[in-house]
Amino acid sequence: MDLLAHLEAYVAVAEEGGFSAAAERLGIAQPLLSRRIKNLEEYLGGALFDRSRRRIANTELATLLLPHASDVLGRAEHIRTLARTALATRTPVLGMPPDCAPAALARVLRTGADREDPLTIRELPAPQREAELAEGGIAFALLRVPPQRCRMRVPLGLGTAEPRARPVHLDQLRPRRASTEQVPRILLTPEDASGFAVERLRKAVAQAGLAEQCVYTGDSTSTAVAEALAGNGLLLCPEAFARTHELAWSPLADPALHRGYTLTAARGSRVPGWLEPLLATVIGAVGETGAPRPEEPVDRAHLAARG
Amino acid sequence: MTPVYRASAAELLSTAESIATAWQRIGTSGSFLARELHTGRELGFDVHTALPLASVIKVPIALVALDRIAEGALDPALPVTIDPADKSVGPTGVSAFRYPAILAVADLVHQMLTVSDNASADAVLDLLGLDTVEDRLREWDCAGITVRHRMNRMYECAAGIAGENSILALELAIREESSLEPLDPAHANLGSAAALVELLERIWLDRVAHPEATAELRRIMGAQVFTQRLSAELRADAVRVSGKTGTFLHLRHEIGVVETDSGDRIAVAALTRSDRRASIAPDVDLAIGAAARSAFEALRG
Repeated sequence: MDLLAHLEAYVAVAEEGGFSAAAERLGIAQPLLSRRIKNLEEYLGGALFDRSRRRIANTELATLLLPHASDVLGRAEHIRTLARTALATRTPVLGMPPDCAPAALARVLRTGADREDPLTIRELPAPQREAELAEGGIAFALLRVPPQRCRMRVPLGLGTAEPRARPVHLDQLRPRRASTEQVPRILLTPEDASGFAVERLRKAVAQAGLAEQCVYTGDSTSTAVAEALAGNGLLLCPEAFARTHELAWSPLADPALHRGYTLTAARGSRVPGWLEPLLATVIGAVGETGAPRPEEPVDRAHLAARG
Repeated sequence: MTPVYRASAAELLSTAESIATAWQRIGTSGSFLARELHTGRELGFDVHTALPLASVIKVPIALVALDRIAEGALDPALPVTIDPADKSVGPTGVSAFRYPAILAVADLVHQMLTVSDNASADAVLDLLGLDTVEDRLREWDCAGITVRHRMNRMYECAAGIAGENSILALELAIREESSLEPLDPAHANLGSAAALVELLERIWLDRVAHPEATAELRRIMGAQVFTQRLSAELRADAVRVSGKTGTFLHLRHEIGVVETDSGDRIAVAALTRSDRRASIAPDVDLAIGAAARSAFEALRG
């Protein structure tokens, strides 16, 4: 039983002093109204109206309950209003990668406020941005996509304690045979350590003649930064991030290994026009996207026994 | 997984351990054994682990062919026509020829060993018959070496499942060896380091087949052109490596004998599988070379 609808019927009849006037006020058919009153009387275990006279009268029970019923209906209406206003004025949430510079994020918040398009920002790891966006927990998110088919490409490079020649080709990292050099460790922060991004890097590392084991995916950004600062590895990161942490930085020569982002909105949300260009500067995206590499011609002999 | 080590003396164990550790560090495992042929001193690990042999299987096949030639049952000058239309696929030797070629049997054997030519190997194998080769190996008591298919079976299965996409075939091989028949222990050409070192020892000491056949096999294995594995850290005028490599998808092997002017003779079998999604893995090749060098220096007189 929808108690609220039934209480509404009862209060209307009691206040209007008649079924037809009450039905009209509520905008429902009179038989439905009568049925609701009857149901409510059964539910409460006593009559609410004395129907024996020409003009119906409230019973004692009806008089006793009336202020309480009105109170319940008033509170229910209050809840609905509250929800409506809250929804109408809710600040949309933007999911951002966790390693953005705070000053740049503040610029996004300020611009939103100035344009009366306010939003709040949550820093979330890449897989969580995707999940929260799908579940409607956030309105917009910068999602990771392969850099060849994205609007925002953030160049990645290797952050190192000692400066290196630039730019870095992965195959340069192979130790020379006549030396005692060790294979360097490539340290990943969580933003680059999940999904297709890490898979793509591991493959490129293998193709460059390095062991895939030299790619380290930790779950802590600060540990990765500390290891790089201590000279125990090369930190894969954008230039601004390296500068923030006082690491030298050389770009990766292969743009297919850079970060790609698209600004995506949850269903029912609309991205304000000013947001994308601003975010591109916040994350340090560059203009052009990497040109897709042509498919290499197939060499059948690769699949045969060789040597 | 901790390897099962083999060392004929306590001081050789640490060499075996450091080789296994170096392999593990680059995502490589397998079966390794090195033996000094005069003294029998040896070191290795997982020596009885059988791996699909890839082109290493060409050694026993060649031995059977050379033995047939030595006993006069097969004419070394017998001309064999290899037609590009139905030859076996491969990157080197006759496999790479674009026009029909006629080669003598003895030259096919040379091609299949020195440049690992698949078309030549399958032509020789077709002449001998798979069953004959297998029967001969059983007669010679070559336990632990099994010949079950032609070289081209590897290409057919890899191309069949991966549609000429070599990275996909590599990923399948790494994830699930049994998805490719020539990698499935139930169907593969198989061997372990122990079985292969045993065979090398018998070839170098003339204790298998006809002595003319073993002498010719030693000569041809000494002319192998590939030097990126066993030879990588060893070869010099005074240190000779006679070997045969084997490479297929994630498998990188070589077996051979290292000989010096001072009379050292050390047989080595290095069979590896790695998790690398790349056709070329120079560090795995080099790890095989480093293993051979370490074992050679530990075992030599």
